[in-house]
Amino acid sequence: MTRTTPSSPKAAPRTRAGEPPGRAAASSPPVLRLGPVALPVHPRSLLWAAVLLLFLAAAAAATLSTGDLGVPLTRLPAVVAGAGEATETFVLERLRGPRLTVAVGTGAALGLAGALFQSVTRNPLGSPDVIGLGAGAGAGAAFAALVLPGVVPVPLGALAGAALAMVVVATATGTGLRHPGRLIVAGIGVAAMAQAFTHFVVSVMARDQASILSAYVNGSLGARSWEHALTIWAVLILVLPLVAALAGPVTVNEMGDELADALGARAAPTRTAAVAVSVVLSAAAVSVAGPIAFVSLTAPQIARRLSTAPGPNLALSALVGALLLVAADLVVQQSPVGDGLPVGIFTMAFGGVYLGYLLVREWRRGVL
Amino acid sequence: MSPVLSAEDLTLGYGAEPVVRDLCLEVGDGDFTVIVGPNGCGKSTLLKALGRVNKPMSGRVLLRGRDVRGQRAKAVARQLALLPQSPVAPEGITVRALAARGRFPHHTLVRQWSPQDETAIRSALELTGLAGLADTQVGSLSGGQRQRAWVAMVLAQDTGILLLDEPTTYLDIAHQYDLLELFADLHRQGRTVVAVLHDLAQAARFATRLVLMDRGRVVADGPPEQVVTARMVEEVFGLACDVVPDPRTRTPLVIPHERAPSRPR
Amino acid sequence: MVRVKTQTEPHRTGPARAVLVLGAGAAALAGAVLLSLVMGSRPTPLPEVWAVFTGGADPFVATVVESRYPRTLLGVVAGAALALAGTLMQGITRNPLADPGLLGVNAGAAAAVVTATALFGSTSVAGTVWWAMPGALAAGLAAYTVGSRGGDGGMVRLVLAGAVVSAVLTAYVQAVALSLPETFESYRYWVVGSLGGRGYDVVWSVLPVIGVGTALALLVCGGLNALALGEEAAIATGANTLWTRSAGLIAGTMLAAGATAAAGPIAFVGLAVPHVVRALIGVDFRLQVPFALLVGPTLLLAADVVGRTIVRPTELMVGVVTAFVGAPVLLYAVRRMRSTS
Repeated sequence: MTRTTPSSPKAAPRTRAGEPPGRAAASSPPVLRLGPVALPVHPRSLLWAAVLLLFLAAAAAATLSTGDLGVPLTRLPAVVAGAGEATETFVLERLRGPRLTVAVGTGAALGLAGALFQSVTRNPLGSPDVIGLGAGAGAGAAFAALVLPGVVPVPLGALAGAALAMVVVATATGTGLRHPGRLIVAGIGVAAMAQAFTHFVVSVMARDQASILSAYVNGSLGARSWEHALTIWAVLILVLPLVAALAGPVTVNEMGDELADALGARAAPTRTAAVAVSVVLSAAAVSVAGPIAFVSLTAPQIARRLSTAPGPNLALSALVGALLLVAADLVVQQSPVGDGLPVGIFTMAFGGVYLGYLLVREWRRGVL
Repeated sequence: MSPVLSAEDLTLGYGAEPVVRDLCLEVGDGDFTVIVGPNGCGKSTLLKALGRVNKPMSGRVLLRGRDVRGQRAKAVARQLALLPQSPVAPEGITVRALAARGRFPHHTLVRQWSPQDETAIRSALELTGLAGLADTQVGSLSGGQRQRAWVAMVLAQDTGILLLDEPTTYLDIAHQYDLLELFADLHRQGRTVVAVLHDLAQAARFATRLVLMDRGRVVADGPPEQVVTARMVEEVFGLACDVVPDPRTRTPLVIPHERAPSRPR
Repeated sequence: MVRVKTQTEPHRTGPARAVLVLGAGAAALAGAVLLSLVMGSRPTPLPEVWAVFTGGADPFVATVVESRYPRTLLGVVAGAALALAGTLMQGITRNPLADPGLLGVNAGAAAAVVTATALFGSTSVAGTVWWAMPGALAAGLAAYTVGSRGGDGGMVRLVLAGAVVSAVLTAYVQAVALSLPETFESYRYWVVGSLGGRGYDVVWSVLPVIGVGTALALLVCGGLNALALGEEAAIATGANTLWTRSAGLIAGTMLAAGATAAAGPIAFVGLAVPHVVRALIGVDFRLQVPFALLVGPTLLLAADVVGRTIVRPTELMVGVVTAFVGAPVLLYAVRRMRSTS
């Protein structure tokens, strides 16, 4: 053993082939092996994934069991097995069960969408929100509520608005989804128009309606059914293989297009596919919960700071997204502050505060 | 010696004005080929096309007789590695993790790790002398070490062919020779190396074969002492000079003529 | 090399050309001001407007035209402030998509307006100014404090910090507005952005802040030229990058805060004007800054005139018009972007 301690970065070790090599520090990552499957795992990410899952389970349990109508934890197994009282069964099967399922799925979808988008755009502010999807949904909802009241349901209007916004953005770039830089610029334009339209509609409508619309535009999880849950989970499960296939190439893409191409990761198609998947996930989220702000922006940022691993941190982003949304919805349902407010407000507040805390902490460390 | 990599009538570029026009080139197995030429002559563009990064406007690149465009990207990347001029190191990545990224073409969807990964990464780190810095963040390395980390990534790819685009730029002279000696070692161990370099003396010293390009064409091709002549340098670079043998290696060395100080060109 | 022509670097700008362009800008602004005085729910013919200037007009016409004075003045002030703020933000972050709201200024103003209305009931437009201004400044300062430390001049942190401040304040605004119907009532009108219904008092109350911001902007524009070369090259040329960046950001925040306090959040002027300015007068900030002062008001007044005329007898708020005029221009510009990135 010639050198075990890493020398200081300045003193370049000028070892060449042939010289006795220093023993590599024991840094090879643990590997998950299962039949033909072999995946390297990042221990810190794994630890955080476990912690987040635990939190998620706790938040889910709290969602089901707290409040006036809550089913006590001890009774949950019985109710799930079908041996509960009528009220309990109703709460679980009609009210909180579907709502919770929608919240987990939507949060995970938004977290994944943001992680993919930020990774391929190499832009920490990149998220499908930025390219006008949420704003388009808001404008669509406003249009349905003002111009076609009672004819088109507001959520349908929102979905149509999101779709239209994406079509306009993809057409305006002239190159479809291929160039994220262009997408973001076009998205800013479309989002500004959509938002101006929404603000205008809200300002000319009668106050009560305007208030309802304004709440919807912030995204809400109130009165969700199993159909909503089925929609978001079906989309999630359908795109999951694609996401898994993209994870590797997306990671390599972070080193620049040329190197990614040289490594066989095919930078351009990877990027197009990642953006497309990200848009599909966000659109699914909009269709079940309205435009919920900020989850797809903050979840990946929080995830990468928890894991400290380079790369898109896809799984962790999905978990953070789900936790963020479930926790925000718990506040909406159970705290007097949240009473009747749309959940999007709280995702914005939670995500914003937490990201702010992380920034401040980094800043302190940087100063030290 | 059969060519492992060959360009057939390659025309490369973006838009109306091609950068490289109807170029033919054959790289023999085990060659250390260095491409030199003035700025903008198309040497980087050519290298990228050889590495399947640029799509030719016309013509094709053959890797062991098969068109690289007709093969799966990963299959090509298992035989040939390219180190571009300005790769982006992901934030917070360690030397080892960076080297591990070179294993990408060997992975499949389910098998993202194999014992060969371990061997390839370790030997790449040892060859580049970075074994002791494996857990250091790339961002905190010195320039010379950082470039070695990128070389380690390319070596971990474990390919018979290495394409290097100006690998010594921005390094001090000791680190430049350090890296070039490393490439020479790799070449001696049987790898085929194609590098783009700026320094004619270095190119002539390390190359077994020198390719001189000018305005998108190959203007000279052969052993360094035949390519680097006073006439050639004057013609291609517009630099009047003498060419003398290097006192140590006898390879050609360019000594530019001084110009009268008061008369700018 | 192959890529010599880039679209961000148009024609060379000699001094003659600069004078010409500035002159044309001034003429356009004069035209926009005149148009703003002529047009309204009942257009006043030019000779009559002229008669009002010279004092020989019908008193009724005089009242109508004079009622357009404060609105026009506000358009000039707010347009100039937004354009200048956008130019500064884009120059400092070297990000062509930075806008004056980058540091959370709009959200800060909104949060203050909502708080004031919730605490003291609905106030007049002039009253909201006194709340919006400190709110906007405080938000900008908070984002700047959190985002700018780190020493590396990293703009990513700054942008993230701005997004964080915006998000938290927006959440607060929405929560308050949706809980209190009275507050929602005044907020929903404020948030569209309009030049109408404001008197001279609104202009006077934001003018000091905008004035100081403008002065500061004029001081740093030489430094912005250096900054455009990148942090290290800027230091190498002897520029004080820390001063340029902080003073520029503070100036931008003051300008945006003043404009937003007076007219509400107006989309796009701050984002689009710098692009127009760069395309017409080149990359020299010492020319960009004065030119932005001419182009901004021209565009904002033009948008306001459009809003006043297309849906007569009512009017469309200028914030809606700027979005619907600015966005298509941006979408058109996207097609001309270089295909890299």
